[in-house]
Amino acid sequence: MNLQTMIVSWRSMITVAEMTLRQTVMDSFIIFTVLLQPLIIALLALWMLRDKGSEYAMFIVVGSGLTGLWSSLLFVSGNSINTERWSGTLETLVGVPTRLETIVFGKNLANVTQSTISMIASYLLAGVIFKYNLHIDQPLLFSASLFLALITFISFGLVIAPIFVMNPSVQHWQNAMEFPVFILCGFLFPIALLPDWTTPISYLLSPYWAARALHGTSTGGASFEEVAFYWAMMILFSLIYIFISARLFRLMLVKARRDATLDVE
Amino acid sequence: MNAIEVSHLRRIYKVTIGVVRRSIKEVIAVDDISFEVESGELFGLVGPNGAGKTTTVKMLATLLLPDAGSASILGYDVVKEADRVRRHIGFIFGGERGLYWRLSGIDNLRYFSSLYHVEPDISKIRIPYLLELVGLGSRGDEKVEGYSRGMKQRLHVARTLLHDPDVLFLDEPTIGLDPVGAREFREVIRNLQSENKTILLTTHYMFEADSLCQRVGVINHGRIIALDTPDALKRYARDLTVIEVEMFGVAPEVIDHVRGKPFVDSVAVEDRDQKQVLLVNSLQGAEIVPALMEALDGVRIGRVQVREPTLEDAYVRLVGGDR
Repeated sequence: MNLQTMIVSWRSMITVAEMTLRQTVMDSFIIFTVLLQPLIIALLALWMLRDKGSEYAMFIVVGSGLTGLWSSLLFVSGNSINTERWSGTLETLVGVPTRLETIVFGKNLANVTQSTISMIASYLLAGVIFKYNLHIDQPLLFSASLFLALITFISFGLVIAPIFVMNPSVQHWQNAMEFPVFILCGFLFPIALLPDWTTPISYLLSPYWAARALHGTSTGGASFEEVAFYWAMMILFSLIYIFISARLFRLMLVKARRDATLDVE
Repeated sequence: MNAIEVSHLRRIYKVTIGVVRRSIKEVIAVDDISFEVESGELFGLVGPNGAGKTTTVKMLATLLLPDAGSASILGYDVVKEADRVRRHIGFIFGGERGLYWRLSGIDNLRYFSSLYHVEPDISKIRIPYLLELVGLGSRGDEKVEGYSRGMKQRLHVARTLLHDPDVLFLDEPTIGLDPVGAREFREVIRNLQSENKTILLTTHYMFEADSLCQRVGVINHGRIIALDTPDALKRYARDLTVIEVEMFGVAPEVIDHVRGKPFVDSVAVEDRDQKQVLLVNSLQGAEIVPALMEALDGVRIGRVQVREPTLEDAYVRLVGGDR
């Protein structure tokens, strides 16, 4: 890929993200998924742990934000190709010179960016309603962790979107995939509370490493070496996901063009 | 040089039948078709519903894979070099889908402009120009969900011209448009042709193909059954005389009665407002009129007209008559 192609792809991706945000900003399903549901989770958790202090509150703020990120990834990014198909725009998108992966990356970028709102909303909830004095222990490391977390979530979305298109039976399990990941990735409580046999599953999910990095840098306790290891795992998984997704997209497009499923009549 | 070359193209759809005992049935949508379109030519493809027009266009637009045969656009193979083909083509499929309804017309064009890799400086000039060209200059900042069907179709035209493609595929672009909108749309197509674009147009409307296209292919059951200039195609019906009879409230049995007469080659009925028009094709010329009137005895009849066959008459004869 030469520099010119990279610039053009980057420009396309940013425009896709901008237009996706313009379309979804008032979408009630997205408002519920990225804002209301994480807020409800945060409200309940803050209420249950109201005597535990601000460190727990920060953990909940970050954790509920991660639930919003995952829900958005699973339902919005996961369905990003199918949504285009049902609205009749997929054929138009496949027929342009921009690669479909670039377009879906841009859509996922919009979704995860929108999802960070849930973290901000939870922060405000804990500060204003519960009067916690919240602060992030390592702001720079936290910001870098958040950036990498968004990238790894976007990459994960690139894998699940074509899988959902090619395997409708997998998509039927979409709802059942939401809460197990909240738990397995330690969004709201440490995975040390789970049985040992679940730990390898957590290690294979990049949101787990995102949660470790964000929790570790927001409430302290993580050394730079530990944080760097979490970043390395996020980068590694992102690269693996992008590698897998490139093949999945190719397979999906060949299958869709062969089976005439780019459009629903 | 030919802009479009199609050689022995074939496409089969697999259709699943049944719920409990499921079986797969194969439907041949396009069956060994070959044709070429010269650079700058406006080529028409006409045929009944399900004849294979849209499937052909979708294969040429790289949206469907052929099962056999080959096709190239400007020398690029539509299967092996799909990415290259996409840079040089634009396509419109009839209907309102394919746009983002929650975005404005301008934002839709900005979006696709970016996906077609149009430089921002160029798109800033091109988007207002195209909106003016399709008559949406004053409505571009409104959301597409508020557009009429005709406006959406015109926005599709603007979308497909963003990257100034050399080859255009227009699949039934005037379907569902009101007469004024359809006429304006045909004017847009003429303007595009004057810019030396190569256009493949599919349509149900024979007068549209007749007035716009330099050559027309008639496709039926997936096969091209005739391909020539509109005037040459009319020769398929030149031995016919067409008698149009305006009638009011005619019963189906009367039509069947007329159809059974030995001097009748084929019969079609068109509804026009409160009346029907019986179109009788005959090899025996105007002299059958008295016998025809006798066959219509008892029916309230308006104007009777004898005319030369049109492309539509030739088409009706080619695709199987009494449709």
